[in-house]
Amino acid sequence: MSGPASSGTGPVPSGTGPVLEVEDLQVDLRTPRGTAHVVNGLSYTVGHGETVAVVGESGSGKSVSVLALLGLLPARVATVTGRALLHGEDLLTMSPERLRQVRGPGAGMVFQDPMTSLNPVLTVGRQLVEGIRAHGEVSKADARRRAVELLGEVGLPDPGRAVDRYPHELSGGMRQRVMIAIALSNSPGLLIADEATTALDVTVQAQIIDLVEKLQAERGTGVVWITHDLGVVAGIADRVLVMYGGRCVEDGTVDDVLERPVHPYTRGLLGALPDLAAPAGPDGVVPDLATVPGVPPAPTDLPPGCVFWPRCPVRSDPRCETEQPPLVQVGGGPGALPHRAATWCEDRTPGAASAVDRTFGAASPGEGGS
Amino acid sequence: MTEDVLVSARGLEVHFPIRSGGALRRTSGVLRAVDGVDLDILRGETLGLVGESGCGKSTLGNALLRLVPPTGGTVTFDGTDVTSLDRRGLKEMRRRAGMVFQDPFASLDPRRTVAQTVSEPLEVHGLRSGGRERAARVAELLELVGLDPAVAGRYPHEFSGGQRQRVGIARALAGEPDFLVCDEAIASLDVSVQAQVLNLLRRLQRQLGLTLLFISHDLSAVRHIADRIAVMYLGRVVEVGPADAVGSDPQMPYTQALLSAVPVPHPELERSRKRIVLRGDVPSPAAVPSGCRFRTRCPYAFEPCPDVDPALQPVGAPGQLAACHLHGVVGRPVDSGEPVAARD
Amino acid sequence: MTGAPLPEPAPSPTATDAGVPSTQRAARPRWRETLGLLARNPTAAAAGLVLLAIVLIAVFDETLAPSGPNEISVEDRLQAPSLAHPFGTDDLGRDILSRVVLGAGVSLRVGFLAVAFALVVGSLIGLLAGFYGRWVDDVLMRFMDVLFAFPAVLLAIAVLAVRGPGAGNTALAIGVVYVPVFARVTRASVLGVREEVYVRASRSVGASDFRLLTRHVLPNAAPPIIVQTSISLAFAVLAEAALSFLGLGTQPPNPSWGLMLAEGRGFIDIAWWLAFFPGIAIFLTVLCFNLLGDGLRDVLDPRQRTLMAGGGR
Repeated sequence: MSGPASSGTGPVPSGTGPVLEVEDLQVDLRTPRGTAHVVNGLSYTVGHGETVAVVGESGSGKSVSVLALLGLLPARVATVTGRALLHGEDLLTMSPERLRQVRGPGAGMVFQDPMTSLNPVLTVGRQLVEGIRAHGEVSKADARRRAVELLGEVGLPDPGRAVDRYPHELSGGMRQRVMIAIALSNSPGLLIADEATTALDVTVQAQIIDLVEKLQAERGTGVVWITHDLGVVAGIADRVLVMYGGRCVEDGTVDDVLERPVHPYTRGLLGALPDLAAPAGPDGVVPDLATVPGVPPAPTDLPPGCVFWPRCPVRSDPRCETEQPPLVQVGGGPGALPHRAATWCEDRTPGAASAVDRTFGAASPGEGGS
Repeated sequence: MTEDVLVSARGLEVHFPIRSGGALRRTSGVLRAVDGVDLDILRGETLGLVGESGCGKSTLGNALLRLVPPTGGTVTFDGTDVTSLDRRGLKEMRRRAGMVFQDPFASLDPRRTVAQTVSEPLEVHGLRSGGRERAARVAELLELVGLDPAVAGRYPHEFSGGQRQRVGIARALAGEPDFLVCDEAIASLDVSVQAQVLNLLRRLQRQLGLTLLFISHDLSAVRHIADRIAVMYLGRVVEVGPADAVGSDPQMPYTQALLSAVPVPHPELERSRKRIVLRGDVPSPAAVPSGCRFRTRCPYAFEPCPDVDPALQPVGAPGQLAACHLHGVVGRPVDSGEPVAARD
Repeated sequence: MTGAPLPEPAPSPTATDAGVPSTQRAARPRWRETLGLLARNPTAAAAGLVLLAIVLIAVFDETLAPSGPNEISVEDRLQAPSLAHPFGTDDLGRDILSRVVLGAGVSLRVGFLAVAFALVVGSLIGLLAGFYGRWVDDVLMRFMDVLFAFPAVLLAIAVLAVRGPGAGNTALAIGVVYVPVFARVTRASVLGVREEVYVRASRSVGASDFRLLTRHVLPNAAPPIIVQTSISLAFAVLAEAALSFLGLGTQPPNPSWGLMLAEGRGFIDIAWWLAFFPGIAIFLTVLCFNLLGDGLRDVLDPRQRTLMAGGGR
């Protein structure tokens, strides 16, 4: 069950190097309102068996950034530059033919809504078999056997019967399992999950996360997990990349970013989350949530300087409004993975989120306007 | 319970007939969206109603305001039976009970300005006669929800999701209601905007002395805003109690599983804690299991569960109720229908 | 709770309004926005202008016509188009230009009346059927199905046979034929709007059915009905021509395009202009109503609307 799929048309190598290396990815989309700079210089690496979470709110460019990697954006409107090496091979300069070969066995993808990504008129089995046979010389019977096996692996009860079901006969959680089975059918080195559990209930979400973690441990798959849910990130990610306005504003290990956030946006986002464990303050009164005032910038109209400054409650440096802050190391360090942030904020020492909460609370009385 | 109850449901049922197509429209089954709910909402409190998709929490919220007609049981609002209100009584009840909807992009009429939307309750109920007085009231309401009154002449498509939700809240408050139902009111908003709306709702609740029913699948948000929490599963309230008790010491296995499944943004905590991963999916509300409806997924299911439909009974903290045989078999046996008291 | 006092100071407008871009234009009524968008669709705009011209001609027909429509002048019969008679004359020596101009009034009046009847009756039926559903829907729409299943010409002929010919009755006959069309279009549109959350939201604040229907459902269900109106006008003008051609519509000597077409048919090999000019008038009017309908369909589509409005900002 482990090991790369061998196919006659060019095996996708797997080795000890990083699974995916993205360097200075830029995506521009032509829209009626002008050119939207949706992704502006994104760089990250995904190692074997590693999970990198890409976090951001709607419009941050997180989804577009992975669609661009796999050539899934309409070429008419999208301009993609930079480099994206999957096992050392650049996805962005690949021929469309080669990209198609790579998509299954090289990189599998799971989307938010399994109902729209599954074909409603084909049985689950047909769709799995199709994927398996498209990338290797497998007989129909073998492919079907493999499909049943896969459905069992992703935890579908009675896979022998489930294989002949249509997508609408399955529940949302089951459909998402089928999507994962399809994504894993060619044992890809990389799995990209785009808000894969957002539409699911928490109990089902827990099942899916457990499943992905288990499969990842067995196969050493690299995972890019795109989500807006910082709770999910805390559970699943090794490393986190926070996106805002198409830029990476902070990255580092999951502990660094979530427990010792540096960038005012990351701090604001964490402060805005209600706490399940202990909502009441020391005085027994539940305090107001910290909020980030205002709304994210439109990608057609990004502010100069730091992308976050128009909403930033702690901006102080004159460069905030004019000069784009570089992503510099603020923690981590020798031997450990670096913790980086892009901010002119004077206080770059990683601090506990709770200390920042108060800053935000004080800076935005009456929760501003959204 | 002698406390001041504003809204109360007793044995509330909303069953939808499942129609097989065709001109004859035969009824082929019953979807038990809400299936025997007992619930009290106290005056001035915020009650959080949580549950997974399809558990009937939205239908319950709608049924309390008779926006969906109940098919059984009763709802009382401030002492009056809502299910038997005539047209006039219903209209007055709807003035006194507002509703905020999930999707702020769908809940505002795209062809009407903010002012027209917010002043609709004023017109409907004949409050503030005259255009100028209504305009003043609209301005007051917009300020109340943190919007610039100057936006009154604009159309919904000119606003962000958070701003639209504020307009929706202003509309719900226009009739000076006592009771506000928020049906997944923050679910379609971005995290940072969710916090803004949660804070706003809390402020309004305090400021106007509202009674709030906050329906959400987001346990963290409910825990943050609610004084008491009710948990729904498959059309039934299975646990209810003070937020602290239900949130930190749940007595019903379903609530325990639900709480354990909520991811929290603390990696250390996430790594160390043990999730209760439930088996399988929620059964269809068209085929509710006999006895305890949670038994098919319950890790503790035992002998009486399929035979006795458990009733809510006091367990744990004061005011906490849970429907579970682990705390003594109390409920209605499936076959005889005679209620049984605790056996052990 | 009483009066909702405001003990908290209201946040300042600049703070509360952070999200609304200041460059946003002031609100404009929807219909003006629609007109503006329509103006950017050259085909539909041109069609609209031509129609406007035709309507103006129809309104001021008596003033515009060079001579009376029924002024017979035997010595001028069957003259080819010339400076004196740009469209020529017919077999009774009547000026065809004048008759086409006056025919515009007759044809359009019948068309508008017919569509107005169908619009009012059909939309009302569709509105009630779509909004109330259940037995109301069943009864009304089965009735519409029956009407729809009846051959249109036969139906019109039946109405005219009962009520006798004449402009008003022709309009009624055509209108009856189009009632089911409007009922269906309206019902389909209402079915979609009825389920919108804003309708439920309005109900939740206590609005009556009448208010829901008139303030929320009808305005939002209107776009397909408007498109249908424009396209139906084209068909109604054609239908009037057809009925008059068959001798059931407008009666001689009144000029109507269909009637003129019928009368000119006998002279087609010796005097083509008798049938040609009224034919062109029908063609142009029908084409323009159709083009305008297509343009409106594009403009009133909300998705198109966002795209186009965004592009224009």
